Amino acid sequence: MGNYFKKKISYISFLFIPIVYLWDPNWLEFLGVQPYWPLFWLLPWSMIYGSLDGLIIGLFLGLILDSLSLESSFTQIPGLVLCGIWFGKLRISNNIFVGHFRFGLICSIASFFCGLLYFFHILIKYWSDHTNFLYLPSIKNIFAQVFITGLLAPLLCSLLFRLFQKSKGRDKLINFINK
Amino acid sequence: MVDIRRISTNRWWNKKNNWCLFIFLSFLFFVRITKGSLYKDFYYLISKPFWPGQFQREVLTKSVEQEFLIRLKQLEKDNKRLRKILSLQRLSDSDSISAIVISRKTGSFWRQIILNKGVKDGVEIGSFVVGPGGLLGRVVNTSLFTSTVKLLTSPESKVGVWVERIQMHGLLVGLGNDYPKVIFYNKDIDIKVGDFVLSSPASTLLPPNIPIGIVQSVDEDLKAKKTANILLLGKPQAIDWVQIIKVEI
Repeated sequence: MGNYFKKKISYISFLFIPIVYLWDPNWLEFLGVQPYWPLFWLLPWSMIYGSLDGLIIGLFLGLILDSLSLESSFTQIPGLVLCGIWFGKLRISNNIFVGHFRFGLICSIASFFCGLLYFFHILIKYWSDHTNFLYLPSIKNIFAQVFITGLLAPLLCSLLFRLFQKSKGRDKLINFINK
Repeated sequence: MVDIRRISTNRWWNKKNNWCLFIFLSFLFFVRITKGSLYKDFYYLISKPFWPGQFQREVLTKSVEQEFLIRLKQLEKDNKRLRKILSLQRLSDSDSISAIVISRKTGSFWRQIILNKGVKDGVEIGSFVVGPGGLLGRVVNTSLFTSTVKLLTSPESKVGVWVERIQMHGLLVGLGNDYPKVIFYNKDIDIKVGDFVLSSPASTLLPPNIPIGIVQSVDEDLKAKKTANILLLGKPQAIDWVQIIKVEI
């Protein structure tokens, strides 16, 4: 049972993303903004499993998170799908320090990209009302999210990356023995 | 010689009683002229230690509060009756549902709270949610045990509001930050910082006159519109308990 959980840790942890997304602990916020939680999981997973899996899992993540948030006109899917593809193309650095730093930087850029896409959705939606200029102050949310996501990414992504790598290695080993 | 001395002692000004009477009459005259101010001041000084103290003030304040409460209830009753006659939107007569905030997303672009009461407890989509201070948002989604509330600060939230002082309607638009804006489609209105913003009596989504916020700043005029930043009275990021109230149409 324990082995099964260790092997499937990546899939089991996937189920907890919406829970963390809803939990949003107050003590982790910066200027009232929380980190963009799905990226912490998507980055290590896509780096290990590749772009195609990143695309598919980005789509699933987007669908789940969109159903949890009430904004029916705006979606997180494009941002997460594109991030999934991009993360899949990244190579794993051998240097531990550079690896940690890269996780932070990549998550910050991805968070900025996703935030910007979402923001453009809002602007385009209200273009016809001529009220889109009112939404400009909310760009602060993007920068606050970039900062807090980049700050936490080295810690969480490294941890998840190691867990996923181990589970994948174990998976391969089990498959090899079975053959 | 003896006679002269007797005469001099008999003069009126040589009599003590006469002088006493004169002084007394002068005093009375002074009191009359000053309209008793001397007495009043003296009474002020001696009565000071016996003035109604803090306790008496509390009793009076309580009485005044009770009086206001009775008047408020009476006015509410009248209001309900009149709204019924006019077939306008009104609050449900049934009790409100108290709920705990179990999840909150009050930062970033996603602004919602999830409450621990759902369909099982009789929560309906469209009910509005108030917290200490005023209106927080509307229930837009329910599950068996939970209900999700779209906050007024959400970019998708648009609510009709009313500024009582100038008696003008506006549209409260959530912008994805903590300060929604009211858009007035009239440039010449006299909106001022500190004006109270309430839910509009003409709104089809909300009952009228629920406190929403205070005008924090007024923006520069833009074409035919005027906009103002609103400081919300209800703080969703700090509230743990809310009331869900049904709307009767």
